[in-house]
Amino acid sequence: MADWPYENRSGKRAEYTCDVLVLGGGLAGCHAAVAAAEAGRRVILVEKGAVIRSGSAGTGFDHWEMACTNPGCRITPEEMTEALVSEQDHYGNRIAHYIEAREGYDRLMDLEKIGGKVRDTGDEFAGAAFRDEKTKLLYAYDYTNRYTLRVWGSTFKPALLRRLKALDVTVLDRTEATALLYADREGRRQCTGAIGMEVRTGEIRVISAKATVLCMSRPARIWLFNADTPGLCEFRPFQSIGSGHAMAWRIGAEFTMMEKSVRGEFSAAGRSFPPYGTGNNHNTWYAATMVDSRGVEIPYVDRDGRELKSVDERYRPAPGQKFFLKGGVIDEPKYEWRGPETLPFDELIRRGYRLPFYADLSRMPDAERRVIWGLMVGEEGKTKIPILKNYTDRGFDPQKHVLQSYGTGWQSAAFLDQERQLFGAPGGLMHDWDLKTNIDGLYAAGDQLYASDCAGFACATGHYAGRKAADAALQLEEVCPDPAQVENEVNRLLAPLDVRRGMDWREVNMACAKAMQNYCGGIRCDDLLHQGLDLIQSLRTEALHEVSAHNPHELMRIHEVSDILDVCELIYRACLARACSCAPLFFERSDSREEMRTQEDGFLTLSNWDGEIRTRMIPHDYAGDLVTSYTERNRDYMRSREGQV
Amino acid sequence: MKATYEAVFVGSSVMPVHFDTEKCIGCHRCANACQTDILLPIDGKGKPPTVMYPGECWYCGACVMECPTGAISLSHPLMNRARFINADSLGK
Repeated sequence: MADWPYENRSGKRAEYTCDVLVLGGGLAGCHAAVAAAEAGRRVILVEKGAVIRSGSAGTGFDHWEMACTNPGCRITPEEMTEALVSEQDHYGNRIAHYIEAREGYDRLMDLEKIGGKVRDTGDEFAGAAFRDEKTKLLYAYDYTNRYTLRVWGSTFKPALLRRLKALDVTVLDRTEATALLYADREGRRQCTGAIGMEVRTGEIRVISAKATVLCMSRPARIWLFNADTPGLCEFRPFQSIGSGHAMAWRIGAEFTMMEKSVRGEFSAAGRSFPPYGTGNNHNTWYAATMVDSRGVEIPYVDRDGRELKSVDERYRPAPGQKFFLKGGVIDEPKYEWRGPETLPFDELIRRGYRLPFYADLSRMPDAERRVIWGLMVGEEGKTKIPILKNYTDRGFDPQKHVLQSYGTGWQSAAFLDQERQLFGAPGGLMHDWDLKTNIDGLYAAGDQLYASDCAGFACATGHYAGRKAADAALQLEEVCPDPAQVENEVNRLLAPLDVRRGMDWREVNMACAKAMQNYCGGIRCDDLLHQGLDLIQSLRTEALHEVSAHNPHELMRIHEVSDILDVCELIYRACLARACSCAPLFFERSDSREEMRTQEDGFLTLSNWDGEIRTRMIPHDYAGDLVTSYTERNRDYMRSREGQV
Repeated sequence: MKATYEAVFVGSSVMPVHFDTEKCIGCHRCANACQTDILLPIDGKGKPPTVMYPGECWYCGACVMECPTGAISLSHPLMNRARFINADSLGK
């Protein structure tokens, strides 16, 4: 035991006011803050870690998807959005994907202006099939249609931090946002700011804002937890656990698709390996050459089963196919958009291929090898040091070595059905064309939205939400924080400091994960869901009060577990609300009420209105015509971008 | 009453980061870049920070990227060290 190295400001309060408050300082939050500040608003950005490297893409990301307005792209934003949403059986986010497809490339150009690297200025890949020699842009996946760009994402967060400082944005690092402030007036609820705690000193921060943008990623540590290595148990950052979802749920914000979860794909606390750190041919590693244990190359085939002879063909649509889909949320696409892929596992075994398989970059053309091992693995999140440097230090040479793949799938993972994750475009906040929630003054972006995607999605929706919040701040009044709301929250936050020799936060997180696996696993039914909900509520009312903290760091972890319990309740409520199994949502019931199927074909939303659970169905096509709806609401933005390339 | 804070080491079976004490200048830039805030400057400026919560590391490498002297190494848990072999040895 040692003295705490930071000042003790427990119980002390600091008050702030601003026009636009942004919660979460990852890519979405930084873009929201930049957009609002560029519009002339006073902006505060709150980040639990440190903005320089926070968020899912803090240490990098390698490919920017759906950049449909880049000069080389042959797919329109409308085509791309409809393809993606159709691929997701219409449980996709048409509004947000359209913003991503329509404005994503604008954000890349902005990033380049502030020091981000988005093209091959050093001519490292001159002459490569994936490079446009004039613009020096590098493409991934579909080299013919060129909608995905390879980028040097590790340069982005430091550049954004410099930009925030230049714009006089107040950045509150090491501050966890814990509750949204609100006021009820004339039958409507308005978000009026937020409360948070500095996680080193324990200082309470009360921030009044006219408009607030939630950019706090998505829930995690729901079904998956490991008390020994909790930092490894999920794919997204350890500190991103869905506090934004929990805070919004507590004040009545409307969610959708929270009944969706998938069998786990990544958890390096046991079931899988460091992301991008095993031999595979997906995503960052597409389209690596794969071999079996005899060294026999595994064939790539197009959607019609035609064996591809060259590496270049792996990056081209099939004869008669306009374009194919690859990327973060695309796993096994429908025939229309299915791209080149290695033969299915069963077929490989039938043909006598032998496990284990390996990625063999040594057989690839030089530029393709270097762009996978060096740019993609190197710029993708958590690869520059953990994979590229670490493996190189261990002696890995992509010209000589093959990297093992484990099991039968590309994730090198082995999960049980009840070990689930919010992954592959999961649920989140319902929103309108302004990325506004049902609460006035409350906007959302990035993984906080339902059916979110990757980094380009975060940047595009962040900027868009920041613009809309900036507009709203001109109309909304500043409201003084409600003293009762502040008092209740301060008491809640600091209570574990008064518990002596209590439970460890990890014990509650583990109990919660087990409760989710037992009562909300792969197959659900009303009886189990009700029992699970009761158990989660008893963890909140009983166990949580027995947890103790020695310092603000431990307090933060307890606050996270409290939020995880809220998210669990939200998930249970969402599962109970959907009566019928729904394959696109990976939602299976043993007591599915088939007569409800047609009535449930849409976005089922729910909100918690001071204890009353409200639900409604919203049709899949609620966004209307994309071009018309977007244009009506973004004429100023479109004018501002005219003439910019 | 104002609570008293204490720094209590929370052990784990793993130790994700190691400091080369010859190279470390104790600037604590790593601690301020660490997203999970597991590096605490217990011994003050000029000394490496203490890895107070090793189990909470999410292995992003931000500390290594931020270190001005190359004093930090990150290593994966033993179970996560994926295997690679010489391409020439396949089938032999």
